[in-house]
Amino acid sequence: MMVSWPHWIIVAIIVPMAGAVLTPIISRRNDKAAPIWALFIMSLTSLAALFLIMRVAQQGPFSYLVGGWARPYGIELHFDEFSASIGIICLIGWLALLFSYHYVAESIPKPRIPYYYTLVLLNLTGMIGFVMTGDLFNLYVFMEILSLSAYALVAVSGERVAEMAAFKYLVMGAVSSLIILFSIGLLYAVTGSLNMADISTRLAGVENRLPVMLALAGTAMALMVKAAIFPLHIWLPDAHAIAPSPISAILSGLVVKTGVFGLLRVYQIFYGAGTYELAGLNTTLIWLGAISIVMGAFFAIFQEDIKMMLAYSTISNVGYIVMGLGLASQYGMIGATVHIFNHALIKATLFLGAGALMYKTGYRTLTDLRGVGKAMPLTSMAMSIGAISIVGIPPTAGFLCKWYIALGAFQAGQPAFGFALVFGALFIFIYYIRMVNSFYFQPPTHPEILEVGEAPVSMLFPVLLLAALCLVMGILGRIPLSFIEPAVTRMLGG
Amino acid sequence: MIEALWVNLDYAASVVLFLIGLYAVIAKDNLIKKFMGLNIMETAIFAFIVALGVVDGGDAPIMGEGARAPFTNPIPQALILTGIVVAVSTTALALSLIIRIYKQCGTIEADELREME
Amino acid sequence: MEVVDIRPVLAPTLSLVCAGLIFLTGQKAFWRRFWSLGAAVLKLAVVMSMLPGTINGTVYVFRLMDFTPGIGLGFRVDALGMFFAVVSSTLWIFTTIYAIGYMEPEHSKVRFFGFFALCVSTTVGIAFAENLLTLFLFYESLTIVTYPLVIHEETPEAFKAGRKYLTYTLIGGAFVLIGTVLTYQTAGTLTLSKPGILSLANGTQTLTLLFVTLIAGFGVKAAIMPLHGWLPTAMAAPTPVSALLHAVAVVKAGAFGVLRVIYNVFGVELLQQLNLTMWLAWLAAFTILTASFIALFQDNFKRRLAYSTISQLSYIILGASLLTPMAATAAIAHIANQAFAKITMFFVAGAIQRKTGKTNIHELAGIGYRMPYTMGAFTVAALSFVGVPLFAGFVTKWYLSLGALEAGDWWFVLVMIASALLNAAYFMPIIYLAYFKAPPGTQLHVDEARPTLLIPIIMCALYVILLGTTAEVPGMPFSLARAAVRFVFGM
Repeated sequence: MMVSWPHWIIVAIIVPMAGAVLTPIISRRNDKAAPIWALFIMSLTSLAALFLIMRVAQQGPFSYLVGGWARPYGIELHFDEFSASIGIICLIGWLALLFSYHYVAESIPKPRIPYYYTLVLLNLTGMIGFVMTGDLFNLYVFMEILSLSAYALVAVSGERVAEMAAFKYLVMGAVSSLIILFSIGLLYAVTGSLNMADISTRLAGVENRLPVMLALAGTAMALMVKAAIFPLHIWLPDAHAIAPSPISAILSGLVVKTGVFGLLRVYQIFYGAGTYELAGLNTTLIWLGAISIVMGAFFAIFQEDIKMMLAYSTISNVGYIVMGLGLASQYGMIGATVHIFNHALIKATLFLGAGALMYKTGYRTLTDLRGVGKAMPLTSMAMSIGAISIVGIPPTAGFLCKWYIALGAFQAGQPAFGFALVFGALFIFIYYIRMVNSFYFQPPTHPEILEVGEAPVSMLFPVLLLAALCLVMGILGRIPLSFIEPAVTRMLGG
Repeated sequence: MIEALWVNLDYAASVVLFLIGLYAVIAKDNLIKKFMGLNIMETAIFAFIVALGVVDGGDAPIMGEGARAPFTNPIPQALILTGIVVAVSTTALALSLIIRIYKQCGTIEADELREME
Repeated sequence: MEVVDIRPVLAPTLSLVCAGLIFLTGQKAFWRRFWSLGAAVLKLAVVMSMLPGTINGTVYVFRLMDFTPGIGLGFRVDALGMFFAVVSSTLWIFTTIYAIGYMEPEHSKVRFFGFFALCVSTTVGIAFAENLLTLFLFYESLTIVTYPLVIHEETPEAFKAGRKYLTYTLIGGAFVLIGTVLTYQTAGTLTLSKPGILSLANGTQTLTLLFVTLIAGFGVKAAIMPLHGWLPTAMAAPTPVSALLHAVAVVKAGAFGVLRVIYNVFGVELLQQLNLTMWLAWLAAFTILTASFIALFQDNFKRRLAYSTISQLSYIILGASLLTPMAATAAIAHIANQAFAKITMFFVAGAIQRKTGKTNIHELAGIGYRMPYTMGAFTVAALSFVGVPLFAGFVTKWYLSLGALEAGDWWFVLVMIASALLNAAYFMPIIYLAYFKAPPGTQLHVDEARPTLLIPIIMCALYVILLGTTAEVPGMPFSLARAAVRFVFGM
């Protein structure tokens, strides 16, 4: 009964959006209220998300017409298996908000704190809308909501470098958004529709392929900027490293993935149309993916700053996902989509863990953090699990994706990329082992570091929960896989 | 060739505008000029999409007395209205960032800022 | 006959739980020892309880879950896996007792014993893996959990050794993963329950690539030359770890992987048609001789043992690649024969180091008078390696020579003889030094290492004799090796 109530899908968007706007008002009298209010709002949203995911698991994809306007005129929200990423958005969002409770109180000027929560909620709203919408222009609007709030969140700490990083991020992001808008305009011009399913059907019959291919190229390039694929990644390291840690977790775990998710939607549209040759795009994605894996790992090796290292590692991992998409084989696609989930878990573990270390010790380079494994054993253990997982060592979440994408490479007849993937992972291991060495096995640079204890529960709990999930998802990984499988089959089958 | 260009003059103009904007974003050192480039690009895209909906001799799509077909397509106009709102908020955010950068660093020239890092 | 049974999962889980308990309560020496020993004994009991069934051809199976349709985490106890599991669980008890004594003055003992237990857990996981993916899963985990043991000393040399160890083994692991993926792509299954899942129809080129990939992957841990570089360097670790690395867990996991590839992935029949194993046999022969030769010139006790290990491991590879029943029996039996003898030697090296602080061979003059039991055990192990009858090593050499003749490759018998001579050449000087080169003023009264170190040494030495004398007695490990061979060759 609860599950089949049709309006959950709109609730999942309206609640966080309204919650965001109301946050500064709620916390006018009592500035402790903002985080609690934000957590409450996210809990409500998560409830809606839970019902939505249950419904899609039971009944398959379903649509919702906003305001009752029939498609293709009105806005259609479409919830399919891929939209179930709303689950991970709510989970990471909720945990990041919880983590912020103590963290933000120290690192952000007090009057700004309510606005911080407003921005986080807006950002989450943008992502939730982004994965659920069935309308191309609506997609653009949600993308802008999430991007704008992300730019602001990077700058929220108010340091000089933060503002520079935010500006760089903003310029690149805004240009790519414009290119997407342009492509949407082109698609509208040739098909006369903005509804994604509708465009997909109408594209099959389009005579003049030039504008369509232009739109495809434009969207793909712009989304690669958002996904920080090498060489379009230059905005990412600064922005992700300088933002407050819970924000880094959201940016690296979720916001970057919206670029990849957009690519997935593009594939859906064009596979649906059936008559388009996508080999060019596929080849580009595979190659850029492989290059990203290697270059991301290469740059990460030279980073002393722990968050900078994690930021570069995100580039590598998005490389995995994009490569899996480009392989366009059943296994590759499944691996890529599941890695969207798993990488979010892993990277959130690592960024939140790094945040906890910085909060307690005040240091952020690997040399300064030596010996922290003895002072903060639980956090360090969680981060080690994250490190093992991200390299794809079994039995953790990362391995399953690596296994699937490698299988996909062989299935697609591209064994060379299977090799590149597996050996690229070794490259990644080089710098994570440095992290583990510095935590546990090297004598401390600052002896006083041994005196600090674990972070407060509000920070420790999210880190440990996420680390546990990294392990559980490695063992129960079949569940998300079998959930995604029908959607991928449907997409590839046309 | 020339004729095709003439017929599609509106599209050609927005492409030229777009390129001017892109040039400014990439080549200018002053952050405000960079951002003005971005605004020019936005305008180019808006113009392009609005031009898509134009019907020769079409009237404003307002129903009621005196309305006569053909109408121009209202959807691109509605879209661009939203687009403008997005563009305004982007501009506001960017300008506020630039102000803060100026307050803290005393300059908004990208090359000088790079030296400070 | 296949029986669904929980015990195949229970065995690795026991050590896993034990590791967790050590990390939680290990600050107290009593609990640390209690859990380590308790789990070791319990686990041996679980493994042994399956032994009679396995010898009689019962196969215990337990499937946990699927990753990809049809393949996932599965456990299966067949004769070959059982053999490896029995060896590693038995040696775990001895090594645990030894480690409790040896590690007394060391730091970070909780970490040491915790990861030690994890190591054994993954080793048994490798032994009981139902398919290649599960095997890979544990194989790769083993690399990770041994890393903290290798760098236990936390000195710059230890870090260097750790880095080298990881570089070699992780690259090896990557090859195994590629091979696994390729196998799945070619055969459509990864099960290790059949004598071979590939067929000639898959194309010679693919099969060759696959064979090279998988052997290169497992060959790193099996230390086939030129993939052996990590092993002598890893000597930086404390002695119980060296013993574990070199006799039980890591190197045997590699050798076991090679056996699985040859017997269960490709199958003897297919490999005979493909004629791929000849170069592997030559490589193994080359390794046997070269490593022995290098060992001659090592003065550091543990390094000499390390090169000896490299040489001995290739007996297993050689036996497997000859593809005859006799040679296969020798290869499997050598897993145990080499393990018990080599662990004895490492224990001896550790005991001498703890007692006298001496790590080089030239310093050992007269040690036989001071530590007679220890050196007696060493002599037993050395005689076993040389291949004197009544000791475990003889059984291997005898069957391996028979296997070589069976295959018509008589020149490998010459390799065997040369290797025996080389073994004698690098072990006998130690014994000679210990007993006959006592410098004037040598302590003549007995001053042995403490009992926790001595007892495991003597037990292992006794096992070496036991394995050598009871080869034909039914119910002993050797009959298990025979059972495995019968399955592989379809006899």
